[in-house]
Order: sequence, then structure tokens, then C-alpha cells
Amino acid sequence: MLRRKLFRDLMHLKGQMLAVAAVVACGISVFVSMSSVRYSLEASRQQYYSRYRFADVFMQVKRAPEFYRESVGGIPGVASVTTRVIADVTLDVPGLDEPATGRIVSIPEYRGMAGLNDVFIRKGRYIEAGKSDEVIASKPFMEANGLVPGDRVGAVINGRKKELVIVGMGLSPEYIYEVQPGSFFPDNRRFGIFWMGRRSLESALDMSGSFNDLSLALTHGTSEKDILMQLDHLFRPYGSLGAYGRSEQLSDRFISDEIKQVGMQITILPSIFLGVAVFLLNIVLRRIVTTQRDQIAVLKAMGYSNEDIGFHYLGFAMVPTTVGSVIGTSLGAWLGRGLMNIYGDFYNFAELVYYFRIEDVALSVLLSFIAALFGAWSAFRKAVEMPPAEAMRPDTPVTYRPGIFQRESIRKKIPVPIRIIVRNLERRPLKAALTVIMIALSVAILVAGRYTYDVTDRMMLVEFSEKHREDVTIVFRDPMPFSVRYNIASLDGVLEHEYYREEPVRISFGHRSRRQSIKGVESAEGLQRLVDKDNRQVVLPTGGIVLTKTLADILGARPGDMLNVDFQQGRQLRRQVMLAGTIDEMLGLSAYMNLRDLDRLAGDGGALNAAYLRIDSSKAGGLYSKFKEMPGISGIMMLKALRKSFDELIAKSMNTSTVILTSFACILAFSVVYNGARISLSERARELTSLRVLGLSTREVSIILLGEQALLTGIAIPLGFLFGIGLSVLLSLALSSELYRMPLVFSAYNFIFAFVVIIIVATVSGLAVRRRLVRLDLVAVLKTRE
Amino acid sequence: MDDGTRQVNGERGLVLRISDLCKSYVMGEVTVDALRHVSLDFFHGELAVLLGASGSGKSTLLNIVGGLDVPSSGKLFFHGKEITAATEAELTDYRRRSIGFVFQFYNLISSLTALENVQLVTEISEKPMPAEEALALVGLGNRLNHFPAQLSGGEQQRVAIARAVAKRPELLLCDEPTGALDFQTGKLVLEALEKVNREIGTTTLVITHNVSIAGMADRVIHLSSGEVTEDLRNASRLSPSELVW
Repeated sequence: MLRRKLFRDLMHLKGQMLAVAAVVACGISVFVSMSSVRYSLEASRQQYYSRYRFADVFMQVKRAPEFYRESVGGIPGVASVTTRVIADVTLDVPGLDEPATGRIVSIPEYRGMAGLNDVFIRKGRYIEAGKSDEVIASKPFMEANGLVPGDRVGAVINGRKKELVIVGMGLSPEYIYEVQPGSFFPDNRRFGIFWMGRRSLESALDMSGSFNDLSLALTHGTSEKDILMQLDHLFRPYGSLGAYGRSEQLSDRFISDEIKQVGMQITILPSIFLGVAVFLLNIVLRRIVTTQRDQIAVLKAMGYSNEDIGFHYLGFAMVPTTVGSVIGTSLGAWLGRGLMNIYGDFYNFAELVYYFRIEDVALSVLLSFIAALFGAWSAFRKAVEMPPAEAMRPDTPVTYRPGIFQRESIRKKIPVPIRIIVRNLERRPLKAALTVIMIALSVAILVAGRYTYDVTDRMMLVEFSEKHREDVTIVFRDPMPFSVRYNIASLDGVLEHEYYREEPVRISFGHRSRRQSIKGVESAEGLQRLVDKDNRQVVLPTGGIVLTKTLADILGARPGDMLNVDFQQGRQLRRQVMLAGTIDEMLGLSAYMNLRDLDRLAGDGGALNAAYLRIDSSKAGGLYSKFKEMPGISGIMMLKALRKSFDELIAKSMNTSTVILTSFACILAFSVVYNGARISLSERARELTSLRVLGLSTREVSIILLGEQALLTGIAIPLGFLFGIGLSVLLSLALSSELYRMPLVFSAYNFIFAFVVIIIVATVSGLAVRRRLVRLDLVAVLKTRE
Repeated sequence: MDDGTRQVNGERGLVLRISDLCKSYVMGEVTVDALRHVSLDFFHGELAVLLGASGSGKSTLLNIVGGLDVPSSGKLFFHGKEITAATEAELTDYRRRSIGFVFQFYNLISSLTALENVQLVTEISEKPMPAEEALALVGLGNRLNHFPAQLSGGEQQRVAIARAVAKRPELLLCDEPTGALDFQTGKLVLEALEKVNREIGTTTLVITHNVSIAGMADRVIHLSSGEVTEDLRNASRLSPSELVW
């Protein structure tokens, strides 16, 4: 019978119960989606890595004899070794005016001989031995350019133009995140991976019997660090750039960061939502027990035990949380699948499987169960501990105090309805404070949700217009002498040109060291500038080195410290240089020096590795055709194209996450405001009806009831802005990595957006309660005793 | 109170005309007739007591007169204006300007002091008496800044009376004003009502099932099963202090 009462009571309170269920559903869906996405990403990566034998250790050398493969294989702890030849080349892609860049990676002539970092063939077939022009191209590149197996692409390999025939579409665990070296953003139209037979590539590059890339798989329990040291030592004479493990492998690094970031989100948002659910359940259930005290008394008098009654009221918490967790789990599964699709746009897995696990469901049910218990606890105690006789009596009348209107002079100026509102809030300061905090949290979620927008905008601004002002970057295949500038300057359409040198080194300070390349720039105020994440320009002092702040922190070095620099190539000198300053950049880790200083430090006559060009757009076509034929160029980057492609990619994922966060924050705010007003209405129906009878209009009475919620919302909004900034700080700390740091940047639009959304939500929930207020039966309410 | 003394429908001092009023409630499959063809006139300054057992229809009549409920048929005129044809906003305005209510359970606003409860009404009235004066009228001039929870039942009811009369209503409607009070306290409340009626000239309708109270009225109306069974005038009004029950 109690079950029937529970059901009917719940139906009666369905608005409030649905609000609680909705908040629980939001929390659970974030939890379920994020935790299943994290697992799915990890599992997909794990499967991909093991099925296609992703290596543990990597190393690039200038050129080493093939017989070293044997010696490396003999090192204890090395399970297998794969040597490869890799080269970056300029491409002429049909349908693309600008030149593109391809990275050609060698693969065995026969599939059966495939070693580490195997290629997954998505479409078409593997290359045929002996056909030197056959290649497999990467899926993102082919799709972006609308290429299919059978299509041809022109390439300049080692100065010779060659026509490549694409026979298959492939993917590799090495390039799950496919970006051009030196870039952070994928531009799949203009950069792609190509796999070509080892023998064909060797002969095209004049690398017969040699390799320039080494991959190792280690046996379980082997110390990676020892192997790295041995490799560095072994290959020092062959222009090694330093061996590194998976943690420094660019693609893996991006995915690991992503997985870590997803992991962060499993805790933050669900905690907020479930916390709010606990709060809502608490106030709703306490009110139910208060209004039903006579019923509790009758039930106890009839002989129902305290447990029966306690569990009955616990049911009021269990039902909405259960409904919420069921909806949340299904919604979470749906969101998780959607998110995985978005990840599929960024990351190129052979197979990105969405795993929906029973563990996540069980955990979410457990979490919502705990939330229900916490939320119901005080009402449960109140119902159990209430002696039947006391329960029969009405609740003791509440005593008010003059409060802040103690002074007659203040009191006179404040209209009576405002006094009613303020005294009500003063009487239950904790409830008022909690309500403010809950609404503020919704504002905070909105602010933090849009914060990522602001960060992206800032990143776009800094990376694509403040820091870089060139149109094109061309990377030279080999280091060029100073005189290359005359050749470049003579090209028709080049308006400005600026050069830099990129020197692979190992920088160390004390016992800490890091593989890094030093960028020697001609000027830090020309086409490229040094700009930090707060969009401030940084000067490059002469004589010293400037490191990204994160890099300096990793080394534990501070400005003024002397750093050791081991050059990996050329004369392989060990030099010392002073850390002249740091720059707090958004992306990656960098080391900057003046070009002349770097040349001096390297102890050679100087070299240039790449050029930034500003070009006359009317002559771009001609220039592009020339670049496509130029033998000395191994890579080309177009700033505008990069920006466009990144914009498109990011917009899709950002919009999705903002829509989700905004709707969840709305649900949160609605639930809090609606429940607050509903409970006020229930507590004060008699009072408000009396006022109606006394001749106050519906509008005036609504002001008293909703004014309270409006005042709380008004206080909550600025507090929510602060919370939002706090939450964003938390996010920026949690999400920053060696790859990426988020500046604290908030646009006015962010706050206006949050403000407008909360005002709309509060108004809608207020209006929903006002409908009930208007329908109050004046006569019936007056007939009942308080 | 010059409005109240003007000629209405040719009869001097007619404030309220109730004409053939019927009210029936449909409760599930049963129809209950709460009022059957009730016709009554009330005049300026009259103190009328409506007597009847519970379920006799007296509260229903009061609620309709007060604009809280609408009749099933029949008409109600206040100074010649048909209240039964009024819109919701007009009804609110009618309650606001012309009607004072006193309830059995006082219905004070617990978060406002005695004075503020009265000010609640004076703030929205056109020519109210000062709130302090209204409270002094009911003998609570020294309890202005007490909250309801700090007042006794009788005091609370007198605050309710002060609140009802402070706007100088033409019609004071009291639903069992002493119903929740003991004898002595009840008398104090009735004295306050009598004083207001005498000093301000407010037409006052008091609902009660306590026959003894009838002695203080100008006019005693008996209701039974929704019908007026008796409508008598007392030769003289007793002072509430003379009442015994």
C-alpha cells in the first residue's frame, strides 16, 4: 500500500522529481560517455598498436649501414628491429594548385616480410615487388584530395621528378595523428604519408644498403632508458638525432594527451551534477516529510515500523535517481558513440571501436545510488525519528527576526514585499547560500564551456596572425648556405623572405636533459615573431637562448643559468649557452636563438634549413608551380590553408561540446531555480493566498514568490562568473601538457552568453511555477490550518 | 465613507445586493447545492451575523461576496455594479479597494511584524488609515514590532482585523473570527470588531456557528442547507462584553 502511496505522491511531484532525474541524467551521461570514451580510445589504441606492431623505440639518423640492424638486434632486451628509409618530398597533387608535402616511408617489397609499424590496407592492395612507382597513400590525405587507388601523384624525390601510382589506401599506428613535422595542426590536403617499396625508395634516394630510420620493439621488462643510451652511443657517428620512446613519438603523444584530458572530465562535471542532485533531493525530501507529518503520524499510529516509513521516504530519492541513471546511461552511450565519431575525424585509427562496458553502467548506478542516499539522509532521519504524537501536531511556527531591517530608518525605505523576500532568505541562510552556489555552478559550466572557444580564438590569433605572418614556409631538403637567399629573392612574386636554421641538439641542465631542436632566427620581429600565450611579444636577446617556459621548467633551469648543448650533427660539439629568458607559449616546446649566435655556437660556417616567404598573391600560381619542381625543397606549408583546415576541424568538435555543455548547464539551472520556487510555493501557499485575498494582484504575489529566486539568481550570476573562471583555471591546469598550454582568456561574449542563458532559464522556470501560483484555489487554501 | 451613503437603486445606503444566488458543486457523481436562491440586501454600517451549522452554505456565501468564488447562477451587486460579471483583475481590484477579510486562522504573514502586516495592505490602498492607528484601534498600539510567532492567538486575530480595516473597506467579511480562540480572547476580538463597525461605519458580516455572538449584531441571518431560513433585526445591540457563551 505504501508503494501505491509512493507512486501517487511521486506523480503529484512529477515536475520536481523530473528535475532531479534530469540533473542525475546529465551527471551520469557525462560520466558514462567520458569513461567509455576513455576506455574505447585506450583499447582501440592498444589493439591497433599490437596488431600492427607499433614500435617501442624510435631513432632517426642521417645515414647508417644496414648491417647495424644485426648489431642492434643483438642488444639484450631488443625483441625486433626494423630499419627504414624515410624522406619528405614535394608533391604535385591533381586538383591542387599549391604544392603539397609527402613523407615517403619504406616498406618491405613483400607483405609477409612486414616488420614493426606495419601498414593497414583500407582499400586497394599492397605494393607489388619490382614496380618501383607503386605506393600506398594515407587515408586522410586520399580522402581530403578525393583520390582513389589507381590515381597518380607527382613527386620530386632526390631532385628527380617521379610519377607515383597509388595502389592502396593505408593507415599506420605511427600516424594516428597525421601532421606535418613542425606543425601542430593537421592539413590533410597538403600533407600525407606514402608507403613505397624499400628497394625502389633506396634507389631513388641513393641510399642502397643504408637506412635513416630505426624502430625497435623491446622485450617485456627491458629498461627503455638503457636502450636509448646504447643507441645514442652506437649511432653517434651516423648523425643520430637521438633515440626516443613512445612518450616522445608525436602521434602517440597527441593521443595520450587526449586520453588524459578525457580522463579529467570523468571526474569534474559528474561531481558537480551529482552534488547538485544531492542538494535538490535534500530540500525536496525535507519538504515532503514536513508536509506529510500528519500522514507519518497516522502511519506510525497504525503500526508501520520506522523502517517501513524510512524506506518509504528513501523511495522518493531512489525513484528519480534510478530514472536519471537509466536515462543518463543511455544518453551517455549515445554521446560516447558520437564523441568517438568526432575523435575519428582527428585521429586515424585502423578501427576505432566504441566499447560500452557493463562496469561503467554498474559504477554509474552505484554513484547515483550513493547520491540518492546522501540526498535522502536528513529527510529519512527526520521521518524515522519523529514521534507519532509530535508528528500529529503542526510544525512549530517559524520565528523571524527584524534582521537587516532592525533600524526603522532603513525599514521605512524598503517596500513590504522586499522585506518578506529578504527575511525569508535570512531565516534560512544555509539554504539560500546553497541555492546561490548551485545556480552559480550552472553559470560556471557555461563560462568554462565557452572558455575553450576563447582559448581557440586566442590560439588562432597568436599562431596564425601574430606569431606567423608569412604566407608560405619552405623547408630545404639539406642545409643551405647563406647564398640560397639570392636564389629565393630572384623568384618572381616573393615580397619578403626570412630564414631560419633548425639544429637538433640535446639540451641539459644538471642531471636533466631533453632532445630538442634549436631554432636560429634572423629576426624575432619580422615575418615570424615570438609571441606568448597572452599575446605579448617577447624580444630575443643576443648571446643567449630563450626556451618555452614549460621546457625550462622541465630542465629546472632559470634565466641566467648556463645550459649544456650537445649538437647531434656536424661536428657534434658540446657547448654552453646562457638561458637568457623564457617564453610562455601555447603550443609545444621550443628553443630560440639568434641565427648568428646559433651559427657561432655550432662552430660551423652557418646553415639555413627553411624560409618564410610573403608572396604576391597574384603571382602565387607561378610560384607554386616552381616550388613543385624545385629539387631542394622537402616540405611546404601554407599558413592560410593550415588555418582553414584547423578551423573546420575544430569548429565541428567545439560546437558539439558547447551544445552539450550549454544544455546541461541549462538543465542544472532550471532544476535548481524551479525546485527552489516550487518549494517556496509549497511552504508559503497559504501566505501567498492570503495576500491574494487581501487584494494583492497575481503579479504582486508572483513578485514576492519569484523575487526570492530572482534575487538568488542575481547574486549567483557574478559568483558564477568567478566560479567559471576558477573552473577554467582548473581546466587549463588539468589539460595543459608539453604539447599544449591554455591561456586564461575570457571574452566579454562568454560572460554575456552565460548571463543571457541563465536569465532565460530562470525566467522559464519562474514562469512554470507562476502558472501554479495563478491556479491556487483561494478558498481551499484558507480553509486549512497551517 | 461618503460613497456608502449615496443613493443606490433608489434605496438609501444599500451597499450589497444579493439576488437569487445559487451555488452547486459537482463532486464526482453527486451534485451538492451549497446555496439555493439566496437574496439579501446589506446596508451601510450594518453589523450582520450569519448563523448556521457547518455545511449550511455560510462560508460559500461569504466567499462569493468577497469575490473569491463565483456563483452558479444569480447576481451580486456592489453599489449597483455587478460583481458576478467582473473579470479576474476587476475582482482583485474589488478585494483591494472595498473588502476586508478576517479569517479563522488569522493568515498573517509570518515574516512580517504586526505593523508590517498592516502596512502590506496600506501600501496598496488609496486612502488608508495609518497602520499604527489601525493597530491602536484594536488595542495593539504597543505590539507594533512583534512578529506573529511572538503574539497570542487573540492578538494575532486583532492584527488581522487591523489589517482588514486599515484600508477603510466598505465591507468587512469575518469567517469564524473567534473559532480558534477561547472565550475571553474571543470577546476581545469581538470588541475590536464592534469598535471598528461603530467608529468607522464599515458594513460588517460575521460568520459563526456560535449563536451567542448574534446578540451584538444589528441583524441575524440564519442559513440552513443553503437557504436563508430567518432574517431578523435585533431591537438593540449588546456590547460584546455582555455576551456569554
